Amino acid sequence: MNLEVIRQKIIVRERRVRLLAVALIIAFSMTVLLVIPGMLSAFLIAFVITFIFKPIVNFLERRGLNRTVSVLLPFLISMGLAIALSSAFLPKLSEQMVTLQTEIPVYMANVTEMTKKSSTKLNNAVSQYYKINVFDEATAFLQRSSNQLMANVPNLLSTTLSTLILAPFFAFFMLKDGRSFIHQLLAVVPNNLFELSLNLQFQINQQLGGFVRARILESALVGMIVWLGLLLLGFPYALFLAIFAGITNIIPYIGPLIGAAPAIVIALGNQKSGFVIAVLAAIYVVAQVLDMLLVIPLVVAKIVDLHPVTVVLAIIVGGQIMGILGMIISIPVASILKLTFTEFYHHVVDFRG
Amino acid sequence: MNFLWENIFKRFEKEQSILSVLSKNILFRNLNKRELRFIEKIVHIRKYRAREVIFRQNENGVGMYIIVKGKVDISVIDDILVERSQEKDVVITRLEAGDFFGELSLVEDSGRRSATSIAAEDTVLIGFFKPDLLEILERSPSTGVKVVFRLAEVLGRRLKETTDKITQLKKEIRLVSELQGFHK
Repeated sequence: MNLEVIRQKIIVRERRVRLLAVALIIAFSMTVLLVIPGMLSAFLIAFVITFIFKPIVNFLERRGLNRTVSVLLPFLISMGLAIALSSAFLPKLSEQMVTLQTEIPVYMANVTEMTKKSSTKLNNAVSQYYKINVFDEATAFLQRSSNQLMANVPNLLSTTLSTLILAPFFAFFMLKDGRSFIHQLLAVVPNNLFELSLNLQFQINQQLGGFVRARILESALVGMIVWLGLLLLGFPYALFLAIFAGITNIIPYIGPLIGAAPAIVIALGNQKSGFVIAVLAAIYVVAQVLDMLLVIPLVVAKIVDLHPVTVVLAIIVGGQIMGILGMIISIPVASILKLTFTEFYHHVVDFRG
Repeated sequence: MNFLWENIFKRFEKEQSILSVLSKNILFRNLNKRELRFIEKIVHIRKYRAREVIFRQNENGVGMYIIVKGKVDISVIDDILVERSQEKDVVITRLEAGDFFGELSLVEDSGRRSATSIAAEDTVLIGFFKPDLLEILERSPSTGVKVVFRLAEVLGRRLKETTDKITQLKKEIRLVSELQGFHK
């Protein structure tokens, strides 16, 4: 009996040591990601690339290529594609951006003119109730925020550049060696939590993969609709605005509004008619409605099993902690937490019943 | 120089043993050398101390184990014994190197373990789980289909054994009731 007690003690101690080792590995990785600037975003983009490429890599592997070649091939092809596409579209895009840059002062002047006109009306209306000058306040606010933006630009550019180089580099190794890394991490997990961890890791992987692919599909759909709509309308900077709308669409709830804002500002600045602005708004609304009617119920809802209230709460908390990046990752993080919690709960509480 | 040679030999032997255990297992028997090497990279090697629980009855199970080295006791909770407040578990069988258990969990949807398994001595197991099977099917469907076919064969054989057992039990029950009728 005594021997039995000693044995069980050794088993329990070994389990604790292994659990501590796993916790330390995870904590260390998280610290590296959060402390080194730009690392988290590079890692997240690498994840996105990994999830997009994974089906292609698996397909190539099924065709009989070995893993390294299967991983290398999509990277080389997409690099070639990126070069080809940018040589085709970049001149147009940069031309659009350059004209936009030269025309922005004109728009600004127009918008200022407009606000001036309306501000006298507005001031008259507001000053009846509050003792503030709306126009001065608004100008000060705009100046403050644009100064901040300009001060951040060099910093933003360097992080973006390092992210753009680091992300594909990480993604390549995630696809090539990610499995063996997880395999080795699982080897450290204590025996009593092993099956649970393996299954949890598998489910999280499935859910994240589905989620990322669904979000990319949404962005592509929104971008395409906006592009087509703006082309049909004969609106300037169609390509640039469509790409912008597609990218901002990944920010939940406020993303679509941010995406539509530049087009509306340009329309106002160009003093387009009310009809054009209405059509413009309609294009963005149609893109969102199609997204809501097709992609969200068919794809996203099946992947993320969260109550709408939980989704909103998660987004608010994410936004409070990490800003826009926090909002983007809040839903997948919330669903991972839910999955982990339920699995552990079932493991610890349920099965003894 | 001797220790170097020993080391290489040992490593070689260890690798051989995992591969040879896999190749002798019914699930992987049809696979060629290349496919076995692929499986070897996917499965998990787990070490258990004597009296360490591998899994408990009613726990969620996601896969099977093959014994590389050591022995494993399979036991079930016996209601009658629990009522008599003796030991809860009754050992129903002891498995040895080369044996495997828990394969039903590979195909069950959130299945529960129907028995408890405990290492009877220091034991090395190969763990093969549902995510691993799905990975094989995704990356190399031809290998995956061979494994799944063998798995179906194993489950079919177990079903047949169970059916035979039930038929025999029914016969025995009929015999007993006939005997009771005869005595009355």
